[in-house]
Amino acid sequence: MTPSPERGHSAGSRTITPAWFAPSADRRSLLDRAHRGDIMGALGRVPSGDTGPRRTLRRRITTLLAIAGPGVVVLVADNDAGGISTYAQAGQDYGLRFLWLLLILAGALFVNQEMVGRLGAVTGAGHARLIYERFGRRWGAFALGDLLMVNFLVIVTEFTGIALGLGYFGVSRYLSVPLAALTLIALPVTGSFSRWERAMYVLVAASLAAIPLVVIAGQHRALRAVPAAQFHPPAESTVLVVIALIGTTVAPWQLFFQQSNVVDKRITARWLPYERADTIIGTLLFAVGAVAVLAACALAFSGTVLHGAFLDAGTVADDLRRRAGEWAGAFFAVALINGSVLGAGAVTLSTSYAIGDVAGTRHSLHRPWRAARTFHGSYAAFVALGAAIVLIPGVPLGIVTTGAQVIAGVLLPSALVFLLLLCNDADVLGPRVNPRWLNVIAGSVVAIFLVLSGLLVCGTLFPGLKIGWLVTILPLIGAAVTGGAFGLRLSPARPAGARGVSVAVTSAWTMPSIETLPPPRSSWARTSGLVALRVYLLLATVVVIVKVIRLIVGL
Amino acid sequence: MTRPREGLARTGQEGRGARPDEALAERLADTMFALSTPSRVLILGCLLGGPRSVGDITEMLGMEQSAVSHQLRVLREHSLVRAERAGRRRLYAIFDDHVSVLLYAGLRHVDPAWSGPAGAVGPVGEEGLGGAP
Repeated sequence: MTPSPERGHSAGSRTITPAWFAPSADRRSLLDRAHRGDIMGALGRVPSGDTGPRRTLRRRITTLLAIAGPGVVVLVADNDAGGISTYAQAGQDYGLRFLWLLLILAGALFVNQEMVGRLGAVTGAGHARLIYERFGRRWGAFALGDLLMVNFLVIVTEFTGIALGLGYFGVSRYLSVPLAALTLIALPVTGSFSRWERAMYVLVAASLAAIPLVVIAGQHRALRAVPAAQFHPPAESTVLVVIALIGTTVAPWQLFFQQSNVVDKRITARWLPYERADTIIGTLLFAVGAVAVLAACALAFSGTVLHGAFLDAGTVADDLRRRAGEWAGAFFAVALINGSVLGAGAVTLSTSYAIGDVAGTRHSLHRPWRAARTFHGSYAAFVALGAAIVLIPGVPLGIVTTGAQVIAGVLLPSALVFLLLLCNDADVLGPRVNPRWLNVIAGSVVAIFLVLSGLLVCGTLFPGLKIGWLVTILPLIGAAVTGGAFGLRLSPARPAGARGVSVAVTSAWTMPSIETLPPPRSSWARTSGLVALRVYLLLATVVVIVKVIRLIVGL
Repeated sequence: MTRPREGLARTGQEGRGARPDEALAERLADTMFALSTPSRVLILGCLLGGPRSVGDITEMLGMEQSAVSHQLRVLREHSLVRAERAGRRRLYAIFDDHVSVLLYAGLRHVDPAWSGPAGAVGPVGEEGLGGAP
């Protein structure tokens, strides 16, 4: 595969720059030597020197197969325990009404994940470290602390999903949960990136169980031929379902995970087009899985007494068995188990990556247990702790899920603001900063998430609150417009002549060593973004405090 | 924790020609990786003159304090630097003689005229390089 230097020299008098000495292979902010070297994907390998152009279709496909992974894993892992039960709830209670929302969400997800993939490939640094370096220690500690907290709660929900899913097949949770935890801990221990990714791919493939599920549900629906449901749930809870759907789909750990995983997979700026394709494939798989679960539950339950009777993911599996047969229940349970295992693995890894990133310790899936003890140790500890909590009898798992949603609501907008500002930092991304049109889209997306997350926090904490459509739509439109305008002004003023930079220079550009960067330039956009963030966090904190006081007084 | 002494001792006692095995090579490559960033070399260079606090290094190099702390964490992870307490202050020092030898040898390699900081505890020229009979 590697073009040998001998062949380069034998070309006679012509001087040929050997392709294996391309500068793009050298990212200068790496913290771990294991982040440098050949790309060892589940389905192929790209030697670090092999950066020449891919001229044939066959070469392009083999390269894509080797590089794809981070995007596919993170986006399929998005259909995790929380995701699947929310899709099931939306389908069972509201029919196909929210199908369109999933498609829009898929678009928003792609915009976010493409940005972190780019940050990872170009900078070679993890998301947590970039926040520390560019926004200072306080914001860094805040982002990291919030990530750890919400990840911990999410892991608990994943293990709940595993317990419910395997419980459907009659496996006791005292067997299923420890078994799943041991498997998750064992996967990365040997220090082979490709083996870990292969295991993830098996789970990704099994997540396609949602497709036969929707086919079966559709067949039963056709046989039954019942008129469409007349049942209309109250409007305010509809809004909450919409918000929950968004809240569980777009989660902060995905940003941290994909960026670190891209760095760990040794994907450099040279491979950005392939990494983008990876994210596109992942988005499609996400959309297929999410739409299939929602549609299956809608088709199976609409027009029946079970319409609008969502309890939890476990009862959905039982109800599906009653409505659409043995296989439907089984496929749903398999999708749930898979999503939960994949989610638990990815969420925990995002924690360990972030810790290693900030602490400067070795953190790589290429390293076996002995060579990166903090990394593997923290990973194993978080998995074990999450599993243990699910097994304690009497732990209110409902409160854990609610807490996860609330804290995710607080963290997500901040993560997105940092992401957007980082993607416009010319010192960090050089010629790869966001183009203006992307800033407009991303600005609107971030602003919409800010409003929705705020509503989710309020709605979760105060279930009696009447959040009608008007209360939702008006701020959303306002936010979209403001965010778009903000994005328009966000684009950094490009240095003169930057537009003329050749494609070769752009594709080779890598962030200089992170500590040599000049301090971030203060700009109108940066200041206002951080001010908006402070205001949001202040409001969210006030709401949470009010809720806590109310709880105390109420008791 | 890696033990940097082991490798050198082994080659010294069990026969000079013994080739390092793969695990040892990996560990050395990790150590060399820690030396592969100019700012970390600069920090080690400050420590050649004796133990220093983060504040001292920040002042000497004009780097951000958070950057210095972060790089010191990386250097500690690779056993190139150790932290010690002097009263209330936390001082960082070169891990052991091997590290200063490594640094001296490397700097001399790229610049034969380089002579080291004044008053430094330089082991070069004596038994430092480990090869003296």
